[in-house]
Amino acid sequence: MSTTPRNRPSAYAIVGWLLAAAVLVGLAVLVALNASSVWNSFFPPEAKSVQGQAIRNLYDIVFAIAVVIFLIVEGLIVWTVIRYRRKPGDDELPPQTHGNNLAEVTWTLIPTAIVIFMFVISLQTLNSVDATSAHPNLKVRAVAGQFQWSFDYLPETATATDTTKPLFTVNVPVGPDGGLVLPAGQTTHLFLRSPDVIHAFYVPQFLFKRDVVPHLVGEADNEFDLDIPAGDAGQTYRGQCAELCGIGHRVMLFEVHILAPADFAAWQQKQIAAANATPPPAPSGAAAGPTIPLVAKNVKFDQASLTAPAAGFTIHYDNQDVGTPHDFVILDNTGAKVYGSPVVTGPKTADFAVPAIPAGTYKFECSIHPTSMFGTLTVQ
Amino acid sequence: MATTTLTPAATAYRSGLYEWLTTTDHKKIGILYLVNSFLFFFIGGIFALLVRTELAQPGLQILHDELLYNQLFTMHGTVMIFLFIIPVLVGFGNYVVPLQIGAPDMAFPRINALSFWMLPLGGILLLLGFVTGGTAQAGWTSYAPLSEDRINGLASSGPGQDLWLMALLLIGTSSILGGINFLVTIFKMRAPGMTMFRMPILVWTVLVTSVLVVMATPVLTSALIMLFIDRNYGGHFFDPSTGGNAILWQNVFWFYSHPAVYIMVLPAMGMISEILPVFSRKPLFGYKAFVFATAGIGALGFSVWAHHMFTTGHVFLPFFSLMTFLIAVPTGVKMFNWIFTLFRGKLTFSTPLLFALGFLSMFLIGGINGAFSAAVPVDFALQDTYWVVAHLHYVLFGGSVFGVMAGLYYWFPKMTGRMLNETLGKTQFVLMFVGFNMTFFPMHQLGLAGMPRRIADYASNMGWNDLNLLATVGGFMIASSMIPLLWNIFLSLRAGKPAGDDPWEANTLEWATTSPPPPYNFDRLPEIRSERPLFDLRHGRTSH
Repeated sequence: MSTTPRNRPSAYAIVGWLLAAAVLVGLAVLVALNASSVWNSFFPPEAKSVQGQAIRNLYDIVFAIAVVIFLIVEGLIVWTVIRYRRKPGDDELPPQTHGNNLAEVTWTLIPTAIVIFMFVISLQTLNSVDATSAHPNLKVRAVAGQFQWSFDYLPETATATDTTKPLFTVNVPVGPDGGLVLPAGQTTHLFLRSPDVIHAFYVPQFLFKRDVVPHLVGEADNEFDLDIPAGDAGQTYRGQCAELCGIGHRVMLFEVHILAPADFAAWQQKQIAAANATPPPAPSGAAAGPTIPLVAKNVKFDQASLTAPAAGFTIHYDNQDVGTPHDFVILDNTGAKVYGSPVVTGPKTADFAVPAIPAGTYKFECSIHPTSMFGTLTVQ
Repeated sequence: MATTTLTPAATAYRSGLYEWLTTTDHKKIGILYLVNSFLFFFIGGIFALLVRTELAQPGLQILHDELLYNQLFTMHGTVMIFLFIIPVLVGFGNYVVPLQIGAPDMAFPRINALSFWMLPLGGILLLLGFVTGGTAQAGWTSYAPLSEDRINGLASSGPGQDLWLMALLLIGTSSILGGINFLVTIFKMRAPGMTMFRMPILVWTVLVTSVLVVMATPVLTSALIMLFIDRNYGGHFFDPSTGGNAILWQNVFWFYSHPAVYIMVLPAMGMISEILPVFSRKPLFGYKAFVFATAGIGALGFSVWAHHMFTTGHVFLPFFSLMTFLIAVPTGVKMFNWIFTLFRGKLTFSTPLLFALGFLSMFLIGGINGAFSAAVPVDFALQDTYWVVAHLHYVLFGGSVFGVMAGLYYWFPKMTGRMLNETLGKTQFVLMFVGFNMTFFPMHQLGLAGMPRRIADYASNMGWNDLNLLATVGGFMIASSMIPLLWNIFLSLRAGKPAGDDPWEANTLEWATTSPPPPYNFDRLPEIRSERPLFDLRHGRTSH
């Protein structure tokens, strides 16, 4: 190819510039048509918690500083580029400036002052966001497991390492009968617990997220306070898991419903009553042979092999995984299902009466977690 | 170097392919690095296009298997970082550093070849997952315990995650060997007169990068081995259900992977610091300040890793917030040094300068939007949303990739002896610059509107539709900018304009030898009395 660069703009260049111009004009038109919504898109949603409002105030300051710095520096780049073009045929060298100590000290000290200012205001906001009330009105533990949220409403004495039973649990994360229900004008203290992988509690309207980190029993949950403004009763916000947790990550949604304090109290009483009314797991099949205990914990069974009589037996099933569903299935050596129990979402115990099955060797498993929860059942 | 005597017959039968497969010449190895890296750039780009296509509209259109979607973004990140940006910069370093310091080769030519050949092997291992039941799918960060296999069997039970670990172990080992090689080369093989403060800035940035590589990569390597033991030999490092600690993985992973951000951007900064002075016909403004700023970034780079973990609740927030803010200062110093290099210069807008200016203006945005995440409470709102995706691409694409393109147009004539076509180059720049901003700028707004990363689909009533579509169109525009690049390279290799020794009136030693240079690099070297020996040769020494 014998093209001399710069003299013959090729077809590609013309197409490229036209495309670029079309895109820029298109964007300009879009922006002009929706000036206010474009402006709003540079800000987070309106904050619906006291902590979120503090974060929003900080965001606005950081945004203002960022825009000013951007305009100055980007403007300087553009101006320099336009102003100092080399004229055709100009072979004279420009002044060979190697540096200027005063300028360099200046543009070290001024940015240092700006970032230290930003650090100080961030720290102040952080202290107010992280502050927790000694006497919150409500304590809730949000439990995030693959791939569902549930919310344990806890007694006043609950702590971050607590394993006692909640007053009641909301198992449905979305919809009018479920979700995280919070009282307006009050302080809720939240604990976050995961039985499996890392999730994150994220509600855009709170401008806040915190990871739900799995840990050993007895280690502290992540915890924080949420103060809901009094005027927001009746509102519903959307929450979502924000830390990749596997194939169902995207569907790990929940809703936050804000109720007036009186409505919340009534709702809470109703939930407690319903929880207490649930009959304890009936010891069904008591006559059917011996009872064999089996614990499901941390997505594992406590035993790898069980021995049972062929005449029938009862599995006393203890699912200790908060918010995680498990079941008990017996498979023969062809993989065919011999027995299947109902699903039990922990923490909960249940007794499964297994009918008489022929003697032999079987596999038992949790059909929801077959790769990690299984063992051998010997029937004699 | 080699003392083996070959019979003439043996030499004659060496085919070109044999020569490339067995070469220990730093220039050939450098070119191998570049070709290999660009190959993986295109592979990683295709993954990105698939992800963007799926996200263009609400609903699952092309990737109905969401595990495949998770594999694609995991492979996109891993390939782009470990098989494109890091090695492509090593490739430029390999080619240019020995020439710039007046050395005949790297200090350890065979180790140099070994470092390179681990990369394609690592890449093949990584992608083998696609034919062995699925690649790794826990994100390029592979957070434990999702990356452990015993969790529910839902995430990472196949061999894909193990292949990911093996691939990164190989690539990490390659990096460490390369880093040591650069350090020894730069310390021991400089030409007479090339004092440390006369080294070109690119050499300084490769030096600091190599220190980061040698200090940080072993930490990643141990993390990888620990996860491998967890997965295969019943270790209990990162899985809380067996007594491990999930946050430990993040600490060791980011202890490498944050310095890795500087490994991915410092050499690109070095490259544009070579290009800006040449095309404005001035020396780099504040050479020593620039060197100290580079060293400062390297040192501070080790104290900011936990800013990726602000929302874990397991970080001493004030310390990492302060250090993250402070690291903006040396970066800002560099920005002003670059601008004042242009200031009162005489600028020629050749393609390398355009891409270097693209670096300046886009990296500026990537630096400024980083300040939002340094402000911890603001990070609580933005972490793990598309804001973070925007930020990292403004740094690694707007910064590193624009720098890589600038370097490619700048050094291609030296490597091949042929000029690239300016019109095609400028076309590529315009397409890439516009496409880049169309793709990644809307992600700021998506993140603010609450769209999380790493989801294959979103509800249509979230208000995210238009911006996602815009980003996808921009993604295809970036892809289209590769056409003029490849066409340009093809035309130039076939019948490009001869470059001559020094087509840009440049400053540094690589332009004192032929294009391409002979295997031993230099017949003779000019006197080295400043950081611009060729400028001195051309104009006499002006001021020092």
